[in-house]
Amino acid sequence: MTRAALRLESVSCQFGSVVALQAVSLAIAPGEKVALVGPSGAGKSTLLSLLNGSMSPSQGSVQVLGKAINQLQGSRRRKLQRQVGTVYQQHQLIENLSVIHNVNAGHLGRWPLWKALWSLVWPQQVNAARQALAQLGIADKLYARTDRLSGGQQQRVALARVLVQDPKIVLADEPVASVDPARSHDMMALLSHLGKNRTLVVSLHDVVLAQTYCDRIIGLRQGRILFDLPSAQVSAEQLTALYDLEASDLEASNLEGNDLEADLKPSDLENSAV
Amino acid sequence: MKNFSTDVSKVSGEPLGNELPGNELSGNKPSGERSPQPFTSKANFKRLFVLFLWFLFTLWALRVSGTPELNWGGCASIYQFLSASFRPELSPAFLWVMAKAALATFAFAVCGTTLSLVIGLIFGVACSRLWWRIFLPGTVGQGIWMVLRGGLAVPRAIHELIWGLLLLNVLGLDPIVGVCAIAIPFGAITAKVFSEIIDETPAEPLNALVNSGVYPVTAFFYAQLPQALPNLISYGFYRFECSLRAAAVLGIIGAGGLGEQIFLSWQSLQYAEVWTGFYALILLNGLVDTWSAKLRRQMGFVSRMDIARRTNAQKRRAATERNRFFIWGSWLAIALSIPLCFAYLDLGWARIGRSPPFLIDLASQVTPDRVLSALSFSLVPLALQTVAMSVLAINLAGIGGVLFSFPAAQNFFLPGGLLQSVGTASRWGGGHLVLLLSRLILLAARAIPAPILALIIVFGMYPGVWPGALALAIHNFGILGRLMAEVNENLPDRPLRALRSLGASGSGIVFYGILPANFARFLAYILYRWEVCLRETVIVGLVGVGGLGRLMTEQLSSFDYSGLAATLLVFIGLTIIVDTISAQMRSAVR
Repeated sequence: MTRAALRLESVSCQFGSVVALQAVSLAIAPGEKVALVGPSGAGKSTLLSLLNGSMSPSQGSVQVLGKAINQLQGSRRRKLQRQVGTVYQQHQLIENLSVIHNVNAGHLGRWPLWKALWSLVWPQQVNAARQALAQLGIADKLYARTDRLSGGQQQRVALARVLVQDPKIVLADEPVASVDPARSHDMMALLSHLGKNRTLVVSLHDVVLAQTYCDRIIGLRQGRILFDLPSAQVSAEQLTALYDLEASDLEASNLEGNDLEADLKPSDLENSAV
Repeated sequence: MKNFSTDVSKVSGEPLGNELPGNELSGNKPSGERSPQPFTSKANFKRLFVLFLWFLFTLWALRVSGTPELNWGGCASIYQFLSASFRPELSPAFLWVMAKAALATFAFAVCGTTLSLVIGLIFGVACSRLWWRIFLPGTVGQGIWMVLRGGLAVPRAIHELIWGLLLLNVLGLDPIVGVCAIAIPFGAITAKVFSEIIDETPAEPLNALVNSGVYPVTAFFYAQLPQALPNLISYGFYRFECSLRAAAVLGIIGAGGLGEQIFLSWQSLQYAEVWTGFYALILLNGLVDTWSAKLRRQMGFVSRMDIARRTNAQKRRAATERNRFFIWGSWLAIALSIPLCFAYLDLGWARIGRSPPFLIDLASQVTPDRVLSALSFSLVPLALQTVAMSVLAINLAGIGGVLFSFPAAQNFFLPGGLLQSVGTASRWGGGHLVLLLSRLILLAARAIPAPILALIIVFGMYPGVWPGALALAIHNFGILGRLMAEVNENLPDRPLRALRSLGASGSGIVFYGILPANFARFLAYILYRWEVCLRETVIVGLVGVGGLGRLMTEQLSSFDYSGLAATLLVFIGLTIIVDTISAQMRSAVR
């Protein structure tokens, strides 16, 4: 078995009585480009939050670069998290700082406190930031205030932050959710450029984009993996089943021979009601 | 301890506190707010219930305070006093004295604000829930947070005037008394508000950084503080305006400045001089308020107390008329004035060394058995009187404030305002006069110290609850009117223009467009000011108009510290009760 960049082993995740993920197992090899597709509420965002350690699973283990991220604490956990860069749907930039500071936030994992604070007064490593922005085509915005930028530009700043962070794994949560078709191709091109020599996991609604830019597509529905195939092998029927509102759980799980765990045990339900 | 967590939007005063998108920290979302059936909806019922409760409360307060006993014999003195307003003392020598006094008041305000902001920033970070959540997650951190937040209630509950008298006993007559009397209670208030601002600032960028492996403390200072900074600065300006008023009041106990000069002139019955002092105070307050409002607008902060609106991009007025020269000039002036003011007052820091022996003495006097024996049932009627005074005052102030908030708002009677049709010729006219006059009245009402107002009222009324209530009402009317005028100015105008264009009359617009939109906010401000009003009852108590404040000043001047501790204990209990009621009511009308 090759060493996986990301590995989930029968991971379940519950919020109160809502089950977001159910016994999900998967492994992603280093350098792979993976798209997560599925209807809203399928558990895509939850899966990504598990991978960057912002959430811990209710059951099962999440391994990032061979280490169980939810069992690490303190600086060891932070060191691992530095290897995972995330592009959020809402960008999560510090809006009233200028772009350079937001890009430099990618350094923060390596910088001591005094350097971080000093950089707010006197920006550090300007060249690295300028290079990152130049790669994304907005070099001229280096000293602009972030909240004055358009949505697309802000997203590029968020990408530049990840570029500066220089992680081994890049996660992107619906990066093209609110962008027109032409822009979404640009964005995916930038992401796959960012993902060069890195592992990329991106959640998408648009299957065509997923097939164009990713090697592998994982279909999620109601917290379960419906299919997990190389991009070229995903068939139209599978996609219909994935997004079909009428399809019952039973049909869905019959469609692909994934070794899903048995259905929720009664004890799980009791726990979840707490 | 619940009240310390629920009154999160206290000084923010606004009912929007919980509508920040994705703000996980403010938990209590209003439920059933948008019901299709307004008359049966739970929210509406709650609102009516609160209003009914408040009505009963007011009836009770009226009963406690009895009918005001007018003293017709004082009419001559009142006439004498009022007629002096037309001929203030303007001799160069006296004007020079007043100018120096005004400078001293200004310097007190600058130094007091500076220290309270420093205290506020340190304790604000330390008392924010977010800090403990990322620094020490779990129940231990939560416990420390609650203890710190609760601890802030004590210095806050004691009015700056009581602090001033207390410090006067310890440190002797020195400017440091005035500065510390402002810095301690205002520091605690600022700390509370700062911690709320930090907690209400969206934490997602911080979480994003923490989840990419950044050390939480670094992420806090890099992501959370810069985001909160505009609101912190904006609140700082408001604190400065408050400090200026507090500095004037503190003059009355001899801390120096305009308040002291006015009080001296008053005691020697030189009403012409008193009016000079009033005009100087009005001028000073007017200048500072105008400057602070202009600077806040130029820097893009809409309203000083409006925390949650920041997220709404539309509300953030575009900085089209941004005047960099003005902004940088203002900051330069601030940077220069702080050291200059400290130097001017020449604070006797060494006097703080006198406090340990005093504290030892205090500890020997204020022992649990002594304090408990000083607690007696005779305090109960005084406490009830105090509450009644604050309720009456805030009722009057609220009604007056709402009425004046319309003419004092820029967007109502001016040409092109909401009550004028678009395209009315913009020339200097009646609208400007109304605006100017109403603003001037509000300014005068809040600039003149409440104890002096109480002294004037006592001319025509025998001491009791009413004179104090009236004095507080006038002062709070000045503050509420301004706050509410700002609420009116920040009202989105499109729905109102729509009403206008379908032919609604001016009053129709007020009752269908403006009041429904702003009423909850007005109530929130009134309730918030009620809490402040309760604390302020001590300052009218100082001139002997009744309530716990009067007892406190008597105990302070006779060095009866165990008795004072007992009274303070009752007073702090009272403030906590009133804060809780007010917080509950505010969340109900939200």
